[in-house]
Amino acid sequence: MRHVSILMLVCAFWSIAAGAQTGKDYLQAYETRARYVTSIYDTSRTGYYSAAVRYAHNHDLAVADSIFRDLLKEPRGDMFWMFPVIGTYMHGKDRMSAETRAVVRNAWKTYAPYRGDTENHWAMYYASLYIAAEEWTGLPGGEWYNGKSSDENRTEAKEYLLHWMNITTTIGQGEFDSPDYYPEYMISMTLLADFARDPEMKLRGRMMLDYLLADFAAEHLDGQYLGGFSRIYQPAVFKPLQSNASAFAYLYFGTGEPSQTGWVVLSALSSYRMPEILLHIATDRSAPYVHKERKRVRNVIRFGKEKNPPVYKYTYVTPDYGIGSLQGGILQPIQQHTWGVRYLYGRPYTTIFGLHPYWSSYELGMFFPEELKPLISDVVSSKSTYNNPDKWTGGSPFERTFQHRNTIIVLYDIPPGTMTEHIDGFFPRNLEKRILDPSGWILCKAGDTYVGWFPLQEGEWVEENVSPGQEKNSIGRPTDTDRTTETGNWRFRSHKLQNGYVVEVRSRREIGSFEKFTSEIRSHIPKATLRPGAVSVAYTTLDKASMTFAFPEKRRLNGSAVDLSTTKLFDGPFLHAETGSQKLTMTYKGMKRVLDFTKPTIIE
Amino acid sequence: MEQSTMKRLFSAGAVLAVTLSWTPAMTRSQESTVYGTVVATRLFIVGAANPRTGIFYQHPGDDTTWSHTGPNNIRAFSLAVHAGSNGKVQYIASGNGLHKTIDGGVTWRITTDWRVTEVLWVSPDPTDLNTVTIATAYGIYRSTDGCASWTEMNRGLATVFTPCVIVDRRNSRTLYCATEDGAYRSDDGAATWTRMGLSVGGIRVLAQHPKDPSILIAGTEDHGMYITRNGGQWWTKSESGVDHTTFYTFAFNPRNPDIIYAGGYVTGVYKSTDGGGSWKRVNNGLTCRTIHSLAVDPGDDNRVYAAGHWGGMFRSDDAGESWRNVGLGDSQVWTVTIESN
Repeated sequence: MRHVSILMLVCAFWSIAAGAQTGKDYLQAYETRARYVTSIYDTSRTGYYSAAVRYAHNHDLAVADSIFRDLLKEPRGDMFWMFPVIGTYMHGKDRMSAETRAVVRNAWKTYAPYRGDTENHWAMYYASLYIAAEEWTGLPGGEWYNGKSSDENRTEAKEYLLHWMNITTTIGQGEFDSPDYYPEYMISMTLLADFARDPEMKLRGRMMLDYLLADFAAEHLDGQYLGGFSRIYQPAVFKPLQSNASAFAYLYFGTGEPSQTGWVVLSALSSYRMPEILLHIATDRSAPYVHKERKRVRNVIRFGKEKNPPVYKYTYVTPDYGIGSLQGGILQPIQQHTWGVRYLYGRPYTTIFGLHPYWSSYELGMFFPEELKPLISDVVSSKSTYNNPDKWTGGSPFERTFQHRNTIIVLYDIPPGTMTEHIDGFFPRNLEKRILDPSGWILCKAGDTYVGWFPLQEGEWVEENVSPGQEKNSIGRPTDTDRTTETGNWRFRSHKLQNGYVVEVRSRREIGSFEKFTSEIRSHIPKATLRPGAVSVAYTTLDKASMTFAFPEKRRLNGSAVDLSTTKLFDGPFLHAETGSQKLTMTYKGMKRVLDFTKPTIIE
Repeated sequence: MEQSTMKRLFSAGAVLAVTLSWTPAMTRSQESTVYGTVVATRLFIVGAANPRTGIFYQHPGDDTTWSHTGPNNIRAFSLAVHAGSNGKVQYIASGNGLHKTIDGGVTWRITTDWRVTEVLWVSPDPTDLNTVTIATAYGIYRSTDGCASWTEMNRGLATVFTPCVIVDRRNSRTLYCATEDGAYRSDDGAATWTRMGLSVGGIRVLAQHPKDPSILIAGTEDHGMYITRNGGQWWTKSESGVDHTTFYTFAFNPRNPDIIYAGGYVTGVYKSTDGGGSWKRVNNGLTCRTIHSLAVDPGDDNRVYAAGHWGGMFRSDDAGESWRNVGLGDSQVWTVTIESN
């Protein structure tokens, strides 16, 4: 019975999501989805959100108190403890018992959370601490876990949050466009938007929510995040709609699949409402477009001259597919996704991508302060695929990309003796066609999306025996273990060290039939030079663009050198921001919205 | 600067594989106190329900029992006790910043803010209770006002990743620091730094002879160990009997400084009895071979502690000839510190 009713609800929500959403409609549809997201927490009895939702919906308050107090008996989870606790408290403080309020306050006195070592950790830590310090004002250091007074904590938290907003809106986010770590930023800014007492911080919180959603919207296709990513876990790299970001796509854009994950609960309870323009940017795919972004590398503490080197993103978005890339090299530790094609057809495996599976203490030492040699085993203790030669995530210093619209060239020049002396391509099992054409092209059909992959060197096909399981650790992260057997996906592996491939993507609406695609592409054969230290390729695309690419950084398009360094913070038909500007302009048809963080103001 | 009056920051939870009880710092034995700085235990995941980490002290008379003290789960790298404070002023270098207590560990305060993170080493000025220098992943910072404020002190450093900074024993205006680019010396209280005459990079640690301050020993990543006998001008690679290349720690016998212990990546413990001229390995009973920190008990120079990477704490009572595990489970002990009471 329960299953039937849930199914009916889901169908109803999907029909709302699928319908036109403009003006008041989109807000109405949003409210419906938000209620769906929180509905299971009205009756569940585990986790902070079961208390938060009861408080917010003003029912079963004694149950909420009981749940909350029980959880606070053994605080744990560092910044992952801070945000649900302060979020739950703020939703319920006027409705909970005095005893519960006292228990919460005491927890912030006695439990010392670790601040963490990533950008998302700090966003959560300082956003939570900021709200807590504003809430409990005037307390001396002895009333706080860190020995600092309320004023000191509020000041420090505000300073860091302003610093983060400033650096994000001038040279880009460091932990950028992460399908799995997107929620941490959304939650942090939601706390500010909902609960900050300082009007400026409240406004900045709302502006950053606009900013984060705009960042996602422009590289979004029906619930999927498109392009290259700073961090992604293996389950989501195969199955894009399983990422945490997709839950936000469902809530805000009405796309993808319904999700009631806890990551999205505080957003669903929030008073923040996404501006209509972002809904259109996220969902209007009536015309293909190129969208470019500049991001930054996470803080480099060793082996680099620059603390935050630039990351250049290039994404081509169409109604049927998106293909996107980072320029290659080590831009983030462990979980980088350098390039990929994602499309609508064939859930859940809606992607094709490739990589050089690389790991080293050098890579880790760039970003982590611990001793170099034991670092790999330390990382593997929590991210077990890191040193697996069959892994499907991570960047490589020996990989570079060059993308023009829906064509990408990826080159590799791998020194002998590198930990892995092969490159891999991922081809999902549910492709309608995967043809090994005598011309040298691998020709794939995924519904109305066609993908041609021309390997520059010979390789072998290996059927995947395992793919990552869905086990989660205690903070809800995939464990990246290889337990679940899901046979049938295909790995194209090449053991040549000087290597690469050209990938062309087209859709039925772009080129017509699959047969026409295959017929045309057969005559487009890349010319490659593949010697150590001299890896290059020349290729003329199906659209007759001339691309030449010499590893690592010589890119020429139609005879002209491509200068990635001129890439703006955002540059596309919907979003525009100059590097260093602290100003993002969103446009859609007659609509315009400007986020000016220098003031701060929102101009419409 | 406001000082906290809160009681010891404690929370319930399982702790390593050792027996735990809390003994107030004031009631400890008057013998030396041995501290282990545990940076992590197995399967450390930020945000997870990790076993307790941070500072542990060994119970006198029950040498396999350790108690946790101070803030928990802060990614603690090292501990220092400020000389001249009768053990009351202590510092924890950690991911959360620099923690300080002025009451022997009853209350703690984070003295740094968001600008300072990944504090790897803390060196209090032995002549001035207000002056402390820290080495971080982002360079050197110094406070001269009892940790109320901090100033970045990286002038002259080619790279800022600094895992170690030490204060000269005889002249506290002179400091030495280890960087990825090489070993540096400052003669003006860290205001400016000059690269010493050591040609290799990847310096992990520096240690100074307890009696002759012109003698320093440097451990490196991949380049072995080097000794200078003229304050850093000339360095000689110490390689007789050395089969390894990466060294994280050295400990001098305070009474006979010709005896030196060394440890590093899969090295076990090396011992020299001729001031670093030659070395031999002394690993009998040492079941963990990556040693991150060594310390000689100032009250009994035959007693040596070795902090193991994922191996817990080891102790030798015969000057390194044999070792036994004395607890802290299979944790990653970053530093062992002995406070002479």
